[in-house]
Amino acid sequence: MSDNTFYMRFSLFHRLGHFLTIISFFGLVLTGMPLVFKDAAWARWLYEVMGGYPTAGIIHRFCAVLTFLVAFVHFLWLSYNIGVKNKGNYLWGADSLIPNPKDLEDVLGDIKWFFGLGPRPRYGKWIYWEKIEYLSLMWGTIVMAVSGLILWYPVQAVKFVPGFLAQIIDLPSLALIVHRYEGILAAVFIFTIHFIHTHLLPDKVPVDEAMFTGRVTEHDLIHERGTQYDMLVKENKLHELKATPPSCMASFGCKLIGIPLLIIGLVVSALMIAGLLVLLI
Amino acid sequence: MILKNLSKGDFRELKVVNGKRFLISLLSLLVFSLFFHVSVGAQENSDCLQCHENAEMCGDFGETKKARIDPETGDLEIVSMIVDQEAFATSIHGKDDFYCIDCHGDLEESEGMHNLNLKRVDCATFCHDDPAASYRDSNHVKLMKEKGFSPPTCKGCHIGLAFHQSTWGKERPMFVPYADGPEHRKMTINTCGNCHKEHLASYKNNFHGQVAALGVTTKEIPTCADCHGSHDILNSSNPDSQMGIKNRIEVCGKCHIGADEKFVMHIEHPRIKEIGFYKSLVSNLLSFKNFPEGLKKVGKDPNSYLMIVFVGYIGLLTMLFSKFGLHSLLTWFREIMDERKGKDKDHE
Ligand code: HEC
Ligand code: HEC
Ligand code: HEC
Ligand code: HEC
Ligand code: HEC
Ligand code: HEC
Repeated sequence: MSDNTFYMRFSLFHRLGHFLTIISFFGLVLTGMPLVFKDAAWARWLYEVMGGYPTAGIIHRFCAVLTFLVAFVHFLWLSYNIGVKNKGNYLWGADSLIPNPKDLEDVLGDIKWFFGLGPRPRYGKWIYWEKIEYLSLMWGTIVMAVSGLILWYPVQAVKFVPGFLAQIIDLPSLALIVHRYEGILAAVFIFTIHFIHTHLLPDKVPVDEAMFTGRVTEHDLIHERGTQYDMLVKENKLHELKATPPSCMASFGCKLIGIPLLIIGLVVSALMIAGLLVLLI
Repeated sequence: MILKNLSKGDFRELKVVNGKRFLISLLSLLVFSLFFHVSVGAQENSDCLQCHENAEMCGDFGETKKARIDPETGDLEIVSMIVDQEAFATSIHGKDDFYCIDCHGDLEESEGMHNLNLKRVDCATFCHDDPAASYRDSNHVKLMKEKGFSPPTCKGCHIGLAFHQSTWGKERPMFVPYADGPEHRKMTINTCGNCHKEHLASYKNNFHGQVAALGVTTKEIPTCADCHGSHDILNSSNPDSQMGIKNRIEVCGKCHIGADEKFVMHIEHPRIKEIGFYKSLVSNLLSFKNFPEGLKKVGKDPNSYLMIVFVGYIGLLTMLFSKFGLHSLLTWFREIMDERKGKDKDHE
């Protein structure tokens, strides 16, 4: 149990995907949110910083296409692995991101742990909230892509509305509301819940480097994902995952990029939450 | 106070004090007009600008600022007497080689210092009788009067447009050269919005208004007047209105190529943030047994569906964040507790 033994957790493919998602996500939020909170001074400032009209809109579309491409390649990869390489374990079981009965146990275990009634559960490869985050990202991307395309091409989109519904269904307005609130939901979720869960917990603060360097220490693996560790030991697969420690530069680079992004995210979500409360009151 | 200062008596006093300078400036004016071969009698712009571009010259005869009561609205306004020639030259009137006296008609015969209580410039009678007549006779003005509003004057909606940077001083928006310039279009939104607060709010709840609220009021983004018209505004249910279903296709089509009947059904003023709309909706739903028509009305109103989605999302947002927020906080708290326990064990 040492901090010097590292195991591979994320392949380069996934790290690259995550990195591109970060870039496009920040681009989308920073150019989209000013429109929602248009009456606030910070929104006007941010809109100007992002290039104003129409540059901000072009950045938004560019990032949207990037997000879509990343998701698309991810789905291709998934279907290739499941369909061609017959990796059924991606769909169900310990390696899968689909929730299974063990997650229910973990949730109940966590609730006990919260109230000091038991030890922390030994999670598997994917913890239940990681699964929820993954699945809601996938669902959110689809919702945002569809509603975004309607707003991008409103004239063409309404052609798909059947004639008898045209009087009562206003597709672009619906898309605008969905796009706006799903966007707020995603942005605040990533910038608070995801940030807290992965980066800001006392164990991890300030940046969990696993998704950037791809490696976790043995200590973290045992401590956090005991069930996965046990299974790897049992199946004698642990040594296969052994990796070189991340270089100093990589670790420094993570902090250099990660910390400013964390701060930007937290500040923007604080402003958004304040703005939302004002809207509701 | 200020007003008192402006009385004629004061001016005479000033004239005595500044008598010498007055003579000098008259002389220089004469010399100037010789230079520029001005025909005697008619005033060139440069003659007026002799005084009106020059704070010292203007100040010598009175004040560079003046308090005045608008005869139409009764508002007290403080205006500057300094005209910025460059700004004037880029304005719609300056560009068209207007003479000062074309508008300040009562100064046609004057030379040098002039009578200080001038008639207000009349935009409507000789030059703009076209929009003026249709505006005054419009249904919109009639409605305003019925509802007890005083209809805005030409100058009220076109602040600064025909005049000069000086006109409004610092207290008012900057000089606005063109009716379709971004500054004027921004003012239009505010003028209409002053009376139509709910429609302004709902306009800003839509893409067009969101962008406009961020300060983009160029011709690419429609303001109230692009859709409803400027001087002769009719209800959208009136087929002659610019927002009548038939005309709408053309208006929206200017920017949205290929706009058709379905597209123009788009709700420009969504009501999802109107409390009154919720109340009527709920009462219609509750009384559907006695009053089935109400339910039908709700079902036919596209705003109802927008509202369902909106309320759904607000519910989702609150539920999600209260649950996950609590989860994060508890995890955080527990991890710290566990860590402390671990440390205690290390010490033992
Ligand atoms: C000899 C200097 C002089 C010349 C030349 C002159 N003005 Fe003036 N004008 C003044 C001064 C001084 C005032 C402001 C006096 C005061 O404080 O009330 C004034 C005021 C005005 C006003 C405002 C009056 C009001 O009702 O508030 C207008 C309009 C005006 N001038 C237009 C003109 C035009 C047009 C010309 C050219 C035909 C012209 N002036 C030439 C000195 C001049
Ligand atoms: C309720 C506000 C309002 C009032 C009152 C008003 N206007 Fe306008 N006017 C506008 C708007 C809005 C435009 C269009 C600006 C644009 O193109 O964005 C406009 C445009 C104009 C134009 C430019 C050409 C055109 O016809 O579109 C003229 C000239 C004009 N107005 C003259 C007048 C005159 C004269 C009066 C006084 C009778 C007057 N306006 C009163 C709002 C108003
Ligand atoms: C297109 C018409 C037009 C022209 C041309 C014009 N003015 Fe004016 N001017 C106005 C209007 C309108 C006002 C506002 C006061 C009013 O309603 O009478 C005004 C006001 C003024 C005032 C008083 C400041 C104020 O805010 O009331 C001065 C001084 C003045 N003009 C000078 C000039 C001079 C000097 C020129 C020539 C360079 C000139 N004007 C050309 C229309 C015009
Ligand atoms: C001085 C206040 C005032 C201003 C400024 C004003 N309006 Fe109105 N408007 C009214 C009133 C009062 C009505 C009557 C209907 C109502 O009760 O809302 C009305 C009615 C309307 C209607 C419906 C017409 C109908 O026949 O039912 C439209 C559309 C409209 N206004 C648009 C505008 C636009 C666009 C502007 C800006 C160029 C504007 N208004 C400026 C007071 C104003
Ligand atoms: C993109 C076009 C567009 C813009 C911009 C716009 N409106 Fe409208 N407005 C409409 C349409 C279409 C209706 C018809 C009812 C509906 O869809 O809600 C309407 C309805 C109205 C009505 C109700 C009376 C009627 O004619 O039905 C008022 C009042 C009104 N608008 C005022 C404004 C004001 C004030 C602004 C600027 C802040 C504005 N509108 C901007 C398109 C527009
Ligand atoms: C002055 C130009 C202009 C006019 C007139 C105009 N629009 Fe737009 N509209 C725009 C622009 C610009 C966008 C943003 C397009 C983009 O960036 O994709 C837009 C976006 C939209 C959208 C998609 C965003 C949303 O709010 O859902 C709809 C729907 C729309 N307009 C409907 C209309 C309708 C209906 C009319 C006529 C009543 C109209 N527009 C008139 C310029 C205009």
